[in-house]
Amino acid sequence: MEDNHEEVLEIFCQDGVQILTAPAAYISQLNNVGTLMIVEYPNSNVTRCIEWKPIDLTIDSDVQDQEWTVVSTVRRRRTYSGSLPVDANRSKHLKINMSDIKSFRVARKNQKLTFRDGKGDDLCTFVFQHGSCEGLVAVLKGILKTFVSRRDKHVYCILDDERNPERQQLDKSFAELNLFQEQSSPYVWKLVKNFQNRPYETTMEAFSKITDIVYRGAEHRLMDPEVHNILHRSLEAIENNTTTHSHEEYEVIAHVPKLPALKEYPRGRPLSLEQWKALQDSEGQVEDVDAVKLVIFRGGIASNVRKEVWKYLLDYHRWKYTHSEQANLIKQRNEEYFIMKLQWRSMTKIQEDNFTDYRERKSLIEKDVNRTDRTLDYFAGDNNPNLQVLYDILMTYAMYNFDLGYVQGMSDLLSPILYLMNNEVEAFWCFVGFMNKVSSNFDMDQAGMKEQLQHLNTLTAFYDPEFANYLYKHDSANMFFCFRWLLVWFKRELSQQDAMRLWEVLWTDLPCQNFHLLICVAILDTEKHILMENNYGFTEILKHINDLSGNIDVSAVIGKAEGMYNQIVDAEHLTDAVRIIIGLPILGNASVIDSKEASPDISDLTLNGDTDEVSYENALTNSFL
Amino acid sequence: MATRKKVLLKVIILGDSGVGKTSLMNQYVNKKFSNQYKATIGADFLTKEVIVDDRIVTLQIWDTAGQERFQSLGVAFYRGADCCVLVFDVTAPNTFKSLDSWRDEFLIQASPREPADFPFVLLGNKVDLEPRAISTKRAQQWCQSKNNIPYFETSAKEALNVEQAFQSIARNALTQQSQSVDLYNEFPDQIKLTNTTNRNSNGDSCAC
Repeated sequence: MEDNHEEVLEIFCQDGVQILTAPAAYISQLNNVGTLMIVEYPNSNVTRCIEWKPIDLTIDSDVQDQEWTVVSTVRRRRTYSGSLPVDANRSKHLKINMSDIKSFRVARKNQKLTFRDGKGDDLCTFVFQHGSCEGLVAVLKGILKTFVSRRDKHVYCILDDERNPERQQLDKSFAELNLFQEQSSPYVWKLVKNFQNRPYETTMEAFSKITDIVYRGAEHRLMDPEVHNILHRSLEAIENNTTTHSHEEYEVIAHVPKLPALKEYPRGRPLSLEQWKALQDSEGQVEDVDAVKLVIFRGGIASNVRKEVWKYLLDYHRWKYTHSEQANLIKQRNEEYFIMKLQWRSMTKIQEDNFTDYRERKSLIEKDVNRTDRTLDYFAGDNNPNLQVLYDILMTYAMYNFDLGYVQGMSDLLSPILYLMNNEVEAFWCFVGFMNKVSSNFDMDQAGMKEQLQHLNTLTAFYDPEFANYLYKHDSANMFFCFRWLLVWFKRELSQQDAMRLWEVLWTDLPCQNFHLLICVAILDTEKHILMENNYGFTEILKHINDLSGNIDVSAVIGKAEGMYNQIVDAEHLTDAVRIIIGLPILGNASVIDSKEASPDISDLTLNGDTDEVSYENALTNSFL
Repeated sequence: MATRKKVLLKVIILGDSGVGKTSLMNQYVNKKFSNQYKATIGADFLTKEVIVDDRIVTLQIWDTAGQERFQSLGVAFYRGADCCVLVFDVTAPNTFKSLDSWRDEFLIQASPREPADFPFVLLGNKVDLEPRAISTKRAQQWCQSKNNIPYFETSAKEALNVEQAFQSIARNALTQQSQSVDLYNEFPDQIKLTNTTNRNSNGDSCAC
């Protein structure tokens, strides 16, 4: 027997495994206890099998073992593909070709494991009487590409298209690119769909993510098996589609969709005291909040009513409260403030010595208070009492939100508020309102800032692919040069008055969320000619952008950004990626439906009935970004 | 020899918030001191032409934010640095204690080819202030333990030793740059690809 010479490797072996279900041929073995193994036949086409033999094979076990290990697997695989190999002479030995297993499910606290054929049938079920199947699962995960099913976290699905070397290459290149930050199927679908629907922008977006590699070097990244699977299926789908494309349709790929023309949106008059009074009823309630916000968006707030209206915009006062309700709220907020202030004021020396976190914050606040807007009269000079108020508010805020504490940049956000309110408690609560809007700017891991920089890149790529391409080619697609703009909402770029004007406009959330990103896009659009004509790289771009400080016309920028917003929303090729950023409803579920059609397995995994499709799509696009 | 080539030296200033990084940079480049510098947000740099050993070189001095959480964004700025200036405040012991982590973080993020030989310079700033918390000896000991980093005690406010410190910084950066043309791994991807291949042949060679 030539099979005698076959090499056999035992990868895994576990005793005390009971066979609970198996195909009819093994019926006599059901409920018997035996040994479960993973065996490798390096010289055979069928490299690996799951094998089980009963423990009570004591008679001539040597012979049994020998014969058992030399089973010719090739013939059986062909004959019994998808089912169990049957050998009348060895009906006690159960043997499953690994390639027939499409998934396995773990149950009963790791004591039961079922192999499945992917067609809805169980191949066999084992019960691990001694110990658990964890060891087996670990080995299976090591030798097979598995992923956990989304429908059932106890089910591990197996991917089996490893044999194609081209696919392995593809995997590697995609994994190296690391386009999918949290690798999962939704965004791969998104990416693939986007490559089809808007190839240019998608390519740019994808390129922009390559900066990761440029800066950090390409670490070896393993591709998530799920991503791998979807990618291949989708590429097949694309191949199939493209074969039916006419030449005209190919032209679409080279065509860069055009935006409507940029229109001018001159700013209006600021909200006046008279208007504000007229918008309140006799009880002080503001009926038409949208109208107020629209006026503010168009022209800001007149200085004689700004202090009052900011309290509403920053959620210290409530639009719908009557005078008496407002008074109650103010009283309550007042008490709360002083309770919190007392908390840190009453800290003893010993407490402080034993509280490193607190000490560090305190020291940071001290340092920053002394260098916040000292050139403004309000904070100028030694022993300026306003500095003490600035300090007290920041210290109290650190007690109010200890998780966030104090982060550099916060004093910049507080300074205009305190200047305007000129009242400790009011300034504190308005500052809280502002922080609620921008606290993600100060995340420990800077996730909020990174996300905004990515969004900014996406918007730039949509609005002006040529400029985005330029930035990409000049190591600047990370948009770091806009970091300061975003962190403190242009506070360092504008005069106090202009910063206040811009902030109140942005607080209206008109015409869309994340309008501050469009402000960035507008400024960049004005500067891009200088950047590109001079062939500036990352360093020069950063310098140029930093040096814009003090030279930005805030009204012109807001007007331009509004114009850009209208260009974007009117664009025929407006993408869901951009829609998500500016808070527009997304365009339905094209990618999800397509994925269903193209790949029932995957759509089953990614969708289940009770998923809200809109939020799903939202999450999907967000995560892709 | 490329000695007449125009030389640009990139210098990164690191250290805790408020130790005087911006002030040192401005004192050196603009000969000015102000109590009113704002906390640095993001990063900025100034350039200055200097003569080092009869050669004209351009120093590009990078100033970054000092608060720890902003360091994750520092990597873009650290790359390609020729010298790293570590700054602490001689009156604030915590800023001295942080030096190790600043140095380590720089080496991790900038990943120079020879981390042990990468030029650092230590500045103990604010010597005009009292009371002194970190003695000269203690700072020097730290420098010795780090492969003899040059140490200068400075006052950005009084312009004390600033010029000398940056001369030394420029010289160290220049020496390093001319000694090894290639301070950084020029083709990191190639090397990584080799790793990848190895790993694939070892680990992933399963179900074929």
